[in-house]
Amino acid sequence: MKNILYTLSIFTVLTIVSCGLDNRDEPESTIRGRVVYNGEAVGVRGTGEAVQLQLFQDGYELRNPVPVYVTQDGTFEIKIFDGEYKLVTRNNNGPWVNDRDTTVVRLQGVTDVDLEVTPLFTLSNVSLALNGGSLSASFQVNQVTQGWDIDYATIVVGRTLFVDDVSYTARRDLSNVNTGVLITESLDLTENADFKNGRALYARIGLRAAGKDQSIYSQVIKIRSLIE
Amino acid sequence: MKTTSISIFKIILLFCSMIHLQSCSDFLERQPDQILTDDQIFGDKVMIRSVLANFYGRVTWGQHIGDWYSFTVLDEAGKSDQGPDNMQNFGNEHWRVSNYELIRNFNQFLKGLRESTVLNDTEKQEYEGEVRFLRAWTYFNMCRGLGGMPIVGDEVFEYISGMDVGSLQYPRATEAEMYDYIIAECEAASLMLPASTNTNAARANRWVALMLKARSAIYAGSLANYNNKMTSPIRTSGGEVGIPANLANGYYETALQAAQEVINTSPYSLQLTKPDDLERNFYEALSVKTNNTEVIWARDHGYPGEGQQVNFTTMNIPGSHAEDIDRAAAGPILNLVEDFEYVNNRNGDIKIRDDQGNFIFYDDPLDAFANKDARLGGSVILPNALFRGTAVEIQAGQKVWNNGTWQTVTSTPGETDNAGRVITSANGPNRSNEQFINKSGFFFRKFLDETPGASTRGRNSDMWFPRFRFAEAVLIAAEAALELGQQSIALSYINQIRSRAGIQPLAAISIDDIIQERRVEFAFENHRYWDLKRFRRAHIIWNGVVNSATAQHWALFPYLVVAPGTPNDGKYVFDRLTFSNSLHPRFFELRNYYNFIDLGWQNANPKIVLNPFQ
Repeated sequence: MKNILYTLSIFTVLTIVSCGLDNRDEPESTIRGRVVYNGEAVGVRGTGEAVQLQLFQDGYELRNPVPVYVTQDGTFEIKIFDGEYKLVTRNNNGPWVNDRDTTVVRLQGVTDVDLEVTPLFTLSNVSLALNGGSLSASFQVNQVTQGWDIDYATIVVGRTLFVDDVSYTARRDLSNVNTGVLITESLDLTENADFKNGRALYARIGLRAAGKDQSIYSQVIKIRSLIE
Repeated sequence: MKTTSISIFKIILLFCSMIHLQSCSDFLERQPDQILTDDQIFGDKVMIRSVLANFYGRVTWGQHIGDWYSFTVLDEAGKSDQGPDNMQNFGNEHWRVSNYELIRNFNQFLKGLRESTVLNDTEKQEYEGEVRFLRAWTYFNMCRGLGGMPIVGDEVFEYISGMDVGSLQYPRATEAEMYDYIIAECEAASLMLPASTNTNAARANRWVALMLKARSAIYAGSLANYNNKMTSPIRTSGGEVGIPANLANGYYETALQAAQEVINTSPYSLQLTKPDDLERNFYEALSVKTNNTEVIWARDHGYPGEGQQVNFTTMNIPGSHAEDIDRAAAGPILNLVEDFEYVNNRNGDIKIRDDQGNFIFYDDPLDAFANKDARLGGSVILPNALFRGTAVEIQAGQKVWNNGTWQTVTSTPGETDNAGRVITSANGPNRSNEQFINKSGFFFRKFLDETPGASTRGRNSDMWFPRFRFAEAVLIAAEAALELGQQSIALSYINQIRSRAGIQPLAAISIDDIIQERRVEFAFENHRYWDLKRFRRAHIIWNGVVNSATAQHWALFPYLVVAPGTPNDGKYVFDRLTFSNSLHPRFFELRNYYNFIDLGWQNANPKIVLNPFQ
């Protein structure tokens, strides 16, 4: 008797079908892009949904943005429906001049977008290399936008590509950073657990402008492969 | 098989009978007994009072003893129950308050009250003052999280199908207008409310309204002042967030005047009933209701009573003193303990190593905290301190002297070695995921109820949670005087607080002294978060840096010294460790200074503008 009941209930579940009217297709089109300055992608914090762009579409009653997350190398990608969108940086977010001008994106299939921003500072001539137990870092800070001061520069080392001022295994903050000159510093890793365990290590340089919510970063460099 | 057939028969019978259920009389037509008309409420004194009681039950937000976890999100305590605390960032809706349903209910009440005929004018005036105060308190709680929000006055909105909703959509007030409104409402309420005290400080009186006036004014003043001193001040173009700097002095004057009115003319005082035992005195000023002269307004939790008790004591009592299975859910952390000064030394660091890096040995673990601010012992149970008359053993393990080095020995909590000496005490601390074992080295004392039975699930505690107390009036006056350039007045106020704590008076005062004094005086009292926000210090103190002295949670582990044949055998030493259950340092970002506006609110009311960083 019980078996019959079970079989019956399974049949009931199996025969529940949707009529198809209330279902939509999933979005198939893609907006791919980079946040760029002078043609180069701007490195940002890629964890914690820290840096976002916003995608608006006109013609509807409500105007809530779709968040677009920028990853650590300054790229972003979103799957969405075909149509005309306005892409804008989130208010006061990101290591660039706050600018809410929109970039119009006409999406059909796949569209590539370069979103131009003006950083407050840029980092150039970055070199990061491991010398024994010490990470040597050299870089130059260039002021792009006048009127902003440097809070600190930071050398961050992480175990994955996701390395920034929140996800890191080692970090050294530098104050009194000068612009326009090559800065050479080092970060001692000999006491670091991940260094001692032979893990793969990644590093980059960050620079925080005073009063800004985010740092600008150089691109991530793998400084050591996993030691088996 | 037989039983099964019967049950199937029953199911079929039930099914059939349900199909045939139909109403054929007015049997189901009843007057609702849960929904009352305005006439039923405002025609009855008892009903009016019970609506008011309902309001008092709906105005608790932020950190409070009904939510022990709320003490662990800042830098005051750490979560010790089971798995680790993954918190790192503060959410965009952290402690956000936006309750226009409550505001509407207040306005319905005011409307009904003004039309009521069962109350005399004095009663009406007192009730009106009480509800207008509660409404101001609600706006205040909204404003300190969100900035300016729509002020709806006494309006009771009604939506009638088909009407133009535009008339219901109010734009956000500016942050300054919001504080001005709260201050004005408190002033009006203070003239309506009685000056007398009431049972357990549970209801608003004149002094409660004046305290909110003082607190709102000092918040507004410090926001006007410190926001504009930031590298890039946080503001919106319409002023919904951001108060102009030139308004600061006016707010400071209002704050000073309101605080001084409470200090000079209210029936409350800086409670000092046990001058010989300042620790006990401080505990009683906060956590004992009988004959209390300190607390001006509290969320009372009565006993006996229907479900009014609070489980803070049940959850957080030391295991050795527990009366039920719950215990040690959270414990204060070293960050807070070290912020309490010594009697004659403003650096409150616990001395655990000498200049050469060797352990300092203590005969009793409690000796490490000798000559500290009396408020420390009154707020935190220290290792081997008394609770309910017996010592609270807190011992992480033993330090065994072994061939010239110290070896750390730990055990399962409660185990002893061959000589019968405790290794890790039953209370902890340890660094595991175990439930019911302390992880920080300290227990709460403030708000921990000493009444027998108060830590049982069946009874819980009738501990209150003070919202305003006399010491706050004194420290608001000190801060306002300081900002207005009246150094000597500011000093006399802050030194009253320090003298009750048994620590040296200050000879000069800065804003850092105010922040420091408020940190230790008001630990666990829902001040820390809002203070660091209004002083614009939160992003500096909770900077998210691993092993930072302020953002990382720290623990202090006491060990028994096992070194037979040496003079140090049987003494105690301490290790300073990261608090193992908080995996990340606290990280307060610039966006956290104001909660995010819910996009749904903007959808419903396009006049709502978003906050900065949104």
